[in-house]
Amino acid sequence: MNTRLQPEMLGATVLLLASAALAFHGQPDLNQKWEFLAPKLEPGLQQRTVYIDPAELLHLMNDDYIHLIIYDVRPESDWNEFHLVDAEHIATQDFASQRDRLHSLPENAVVVIVSNDEFLSTEAWKLLMAVAKPNAYILEGGLNLWLNIYGVPTEEVAHHGKASLGKPDGRMRHRFRLALGDRHAAARPDENLVPQREYTPRVKLLKKIAKAGGCG
Amino acid sequence: MAPYDLVALFGTTGSYFVYVTIGFAFGFILESSGFGDSRLLAAQFYFRELQVLKVMFTAIVVAMILIFWSTALGLLDYDEIWVNPTYLWPGVVGGLIMGAGFILGGYCPGTSLVSVATLKLDGVFFFLGHVTGIIIFGETVGFISSFWNSGYLGFLTLPELLHVETGVVVFLVTCMALLMFAGFDWLRSKIYGKKK
Amino acid sequence: MNALAEKAKYWNPYVGGALLGILLFLSFFVTSHGLGASGGVNRIAVAVEDLVIPEHVDKTPYIAQMAGGDRDPLAHWIVWEVAGILLGGFVSGLLRGRVKVQTYHGPQITPHTRWAFAFAGGVLMGYGARMARGCTSGQALSGGAVMSVGSWAFMFAVFAGGYVLAWFVRRLWQEA
Repeated sequence: MNTRLQPEMLGATVLLLASAALAFHGQPDLNQKWEFLAPKLEPGLQQRTVYIDPAELLHLMNDDYIHLIIYDVRPESDWNEFHLVDAEHIATQDFASQRDRLHSLPENAVVVIVSNDEFLSTEAWKLLMAVAKPNAYILEGGLNLWLNIYGVPTEEVAHHGKASLGKPDGRMRHRFRLALGDRHAAARPDENLVPQREYTPRVKLLKKIAKAGGCG
Repeated sequence: MAPYDLVALFGTTGSYFVYVTIGFAFGFILESSGFGDSRLLAAQFYFRELQVLKVMFTAIVVAMILIFWSTALGLLDYDEIWVNPTYLWPGVVGGLIMGAGFILGGYCPGTSLVSVATLKLDGVFFFLGHVTGIIIFGETVGFISSFWNSGYLGFLTLPELLHVETGVVVFLVTCMALLMFAGFDWLRSKIYGKKK
Repeated sequence: MNALAEKAKYWNPYVGGALLGILLFLSFFVTSHGLGASGGVNRIAVAVEDLVIPEHVDKTPYIAQMAGGDRDPLAHWIVWEVAGILLGGFVSGLLRGRVKVQTYHGPQITPHTRWAFAFAGGVLMGYGARMARGCTSGQALSGGAVMSVGSWAFMFAVFAGGYVLAWFVRRLWQEA
């Protein structure tokens, strides 16, 4: 028996076992990935630095320099009743398919996740960070707060009122007589016509760390 | 979680130092394994010496296992590491050209550096040719620009292509590599007999 | 091990390969990307071009992105890695007495023939590496380890190209 073969056999076995074990263990799913990221990202949630005021979102919508992506993660019926102009309706299960797009975003890109209050959007934010870590924020108070501020009573809106009396429960608290989607005035308020609102700007553009790989 | 922003940690000069160190280890391992020797490298294509195959694929398999175990345990962030984008046609054609260059020239870019470092003249001529080829490419790429950008499939990986889980692909690649080692060894003994 | 490798006391390829694999992993771990070589040579060549004919560099898009205007083509990690490779190769060779001015060539040809073919092969390599956006270090090793489809396709193409041409040029390398 060629004694030199023994260590090579051992090596081959080690590699086979290690790769087989890897196949069994699997790669982390989105929830696990969030767990790994949580220590660094959780403080942003707790200190509210990733929640942006509706007025800031309005400003982003009107800022030509910013490449804005609005992910609306509410149920379809809510989306049909009202949604912001240029928002994209997406279910959190479909976030993984956005990975390539999110990885090739330009430096001036900002992602904002909206739901009715903050429950769905916060969970969605965690998953989105697990998918691609984009420069993403959550709409503070959700669309319920947005409509409190920018909702325009018109004949289309059968019932519009300050719904701050109810506790936030993730449901739409403004009712529209006609489900016009983004054709309501509140879907894209005119910045010049609405009352100015003070807010703490939270959006920062991240300098793109040039992922320089390969042979230059 | 790794990877780290080197410039943030060590400053630009510090990051360069890290790269010199990595390059040093790379060159050292290559030279020690005989990759500064064009006769050894070319002999791969005659089944006479199998260093190239064995070093390359062992390295790929070992690295793969370490990388994906690290991502599985949350030590390394897969989203942050560089995956070469796939430009299928220029990649294949470029590869064929490089294969021809390999057997004619006896080196590849990395190994030619090692050869130059040990003062081998054939390495020096190869290096000069390498620079010439680069310049020719830079001057003419404008004419083949649409070809050069064709076949773009994004950051496509084998698991995504085959719809098979990452870990399973790693296992299959490991098996394939080990089979190749055994197979080429067998081929070599068939062609050259058992004489050493 | 094989005849030439054993005679020259090169490392066992599995050992060298394992060490290289660990280095490759560490590179990804610490720097977020793998190894590379041809890109560094590319940039050094461009830097020299920039010294000699800067206006031309500014006008050729492929080169301009690296060295046009104020850009410093050498301010890129791969250039430093290439410097390291040269150093590492030298030290390793020095430790084993392999730093010697000589020409490696097949037994049937002269050194001069070898030089000509080395140059020709280099030209193909330089051109092909840019075409493929990488070389065996950057594409095959690094891209292969992270399972890029393009890298694996590239790798097989390199082996195919070499093996197919090998028979036709066997006089360069083989015994009579």
